[in-house]
Amino acid sequence: MKYAAKRLLMLLVTMVIVSFLAFLAFDLISGDPATAMLGTQATPESVAALREELGLNRPFLVRYGEWLLGFFTGNLGTSYNYKQPVWDLIGTKVMVTLCLSVLSFLLITMVSIPLGLWSARRAGGRLDGVRTAVNQLCMAVPPFFTGILLSWVFGVMLHWFVPGSFPGLEHFGSALKYLFFAAVAIAIPRIAMTVRMLRSTIMSEMQKDYVRTAISRGNDRGEVLRRHVLKNALVPVVTFLAQTMAEIVAGSIVVEQVFAIPGLGRMLVTSISNRDYPTVQAIVVILAFWVVLAGTVADIVNQCIDPRLRLGGDA
Amino acid sequence: MLEIRDLHVKFHNRDREAVAGVSLTIHDGEILGLVGESGSGKSVTAMSVAGLLPRKSCDYSGQVLLDGTELLHADRSLLRQVQGRDMGVVFQEPMTAMDPLMKIGHQVEEVLHIHTDKNKQERRAMALEALAAVELPEVEVVYEKYPHELSGGMLQRAMIAAAIIQRPKLLLLDEPTTALDVTIQAQILELLKKLNRESGMSMLFISHNLNVVRKLCRRVAVMQRGVLVEEGDTEEVFHDPQHPYTQRLIAAIPTRKRKEDAP
Repeated sequence: MKYAAKRLLMLLVTMVIVSFLAFLAFDLISGDPATAMLGTQATPESVAALREELGLNRPFLVRYGEWLLGFFTGNLGTSYNYKQPVWDLIGTKVMVTLCLSVLSFLLITMVSIPLGLWSARRAGGRLDGVRTAVNQLCMAVPPFFTGILLSWVFGVMLHWFVPGSFPGLEHFGSALKYLFFAAVAIAIPRIAMTVRMLRSTIMSEMQKDYVRTAISRGNDRGEVLRRHVLKNALVPVVTFLAQTMAEIVAGSIVVEQVFAIPGLGRMLVTSISNRDYPTVQAIVVILAFWVVLAGTVADIVNQCIDPRLRLGGDA
Repeated sequence: MLEIRDLHVKFHNRDREAVAGVSLTIHDGEILGLVGESGSGKSVTAMSVAGLLPRKSCDYSGQVLLDGTELLHADRSLLRQVQGRDMGVVFQEPMTAMDPLMKIGHQVEEVLHIHTDKNKQERRAMALEALAAVELPEVEVVYEKYPHELSGGMLQRAMIAAAIIQRPKLLLLDEPTTALDVTIQAQILELLKKLNRESGMSMLFISHNLNVVRKLCRRVAVMQRGVLVEEGDTEEVFHDPQHPYTQRLIAAIPTRKRKEDAP
C-alpha cells in the first residue's frame, strides 16, 4: 500500500513536469497566436490589443501557474478558435476516445491471455507453423485497413451498424456497439503481439526448475501452467500491456478517422493546424496523463504479482 | 520397495546412453547412496524413477517398480497419482526449485491440494506440522514467506517438508546438499537421518560427495558413464574399493592429513 502511495506521488510529480514542458514548448514555438487569429486583418495595434486580451504579455511563470491551477479546477483555458472553454470543446471527445481505448484494451487482455496460454500449450505441435503465420499476418495488418474491412463487412454488407453516423454517448448501448468494431481494428495487431510475447515467456518459464518441482508433486500440465507458470510469465506481459494502453490512443487517432468517430484524435489534428494552443496543450497533457497512468498502474499490478519487486518500496 | 531393472536411457541429442543398464534395489526403510561424477547418469536414474524424464526426447527401456507398480512406462495419469503421494523429490538448488511467486506454506501444502480433498485449515495445519518436522523455527512466519526471503538452508528444509508432507514411501534426493555450505549440509544430513529413523521412509540419496554419502547411507552404489561399477556396504566400499574408478574417487577425497601438508 505504501508502495502504491509512493507511485501515485511520483505520478503527480511526473505530470507537473510534463505539463511544464508542454506549456514551455508551445510558448517557444514560433508563430504568434494573436497574429494567426487576426489573419490578414492584423495591424500592430490590433495584435497588441489581442495579446493583451489573451494575457500573452504576462510573465511566463504566472501564465503557467494559472493554467496548471486551472487543471485542478476544471478550467483548461479558452480555445482561440472557437472562443469556448476548452473542456466544453473536448470533454465529450475525451470520453469517446476513453471508451474506445478501454474497449480495445479489454478486448486485447481478454483475448490474448487465454490465446497465449493455448498457443504455448500447443507449441511444437503440427499446426505451429500455421499459428505463427496467422500471428504474423495479424501483426502486420494496419488498423486502418482492418477498420475499412470491418466497416465494409459489418456496416455496409451486414448492416450491424451504420458507418459514419456515430450515435453519441447518450445512446450508450448503440455507441458501444459502434465503437466495438473500431476497437477490434485497433486490438487485432496488439492481440497478436501480446499472444506472441506471452507464448515465448511461458515457454521459457516452462524450462525453469520450479516447473520440474511442480510436476514431481503430481501436477498435470494444465495445473502447472495455471498455478505456477502463468503468474511468473505475467510480469513482462503486464508491462507490455501498459505500453499497449498508451499506444492504443495513438492508434485510435487513425481509426477514429476511418470510422468517423468524433474523438480526441481528430480534434488534436485540427487544433494543431489551427495553432489553437490552449486546446493542444490540454490534449497533450491529457494524453501524457493517460500514458503515465498506464505505467503507474502496471507497476502497482506487477508489485502485487511479484513480491520481489516490493523490496524497492520499503514495504 | 523400489526396484530398478536394467534401466537404459538415451537422449536423442547424445551419442552415448546416459544410463546403460542399471539395476538397483532399495529396501524398506533403507537409505541408498548413489555416487558418481557429473554426467555419470545418477541424476538421470533418479529422474527416471521420479517420472521426470522428457519422454519425447529420449529412448528408454527397462523397469522401475515401486512396490510392484511399473512407473517407467506408466501413463501420465497413473504417474501423477504416485508423484507427490508415494514419492517425494528434493532437488539440488532450493532457490530455483521453488516457485518464486508462491508463499512457502502454499508450496509445502501443494501435494495435499493435488492428492487429497482436505480443506484450507487442514492443509495449513499439516503444512505447519511438516515445517516443524524439518526443524524450521517460527513455522507460522515461515509459512507466509516467499522463497527470496529465506536462506538456502531454510529453503531446502522447506523443500524437504513439501516432499514428505504426504509421508511418501520413497524420498528421492538429487544432490540436496551440494548447493549449501558445509555446516548447513551437516544439519540437513542429520535431519534426513532423523526422518529416516522416525518414519522409516526409504531414500535414494544422490551425491558426488563420498564423504556426505558415508555419513548418511549404509549402502552405496557407484556409477560411471551410465553403468553401476560397484555396489555394497558403505564402509566396505570405502575400505576395500574393488573397482579402479571407486578407488580413484576415494583417493580424490581431501583428507585432513593432506590439508595439514598444504602450505
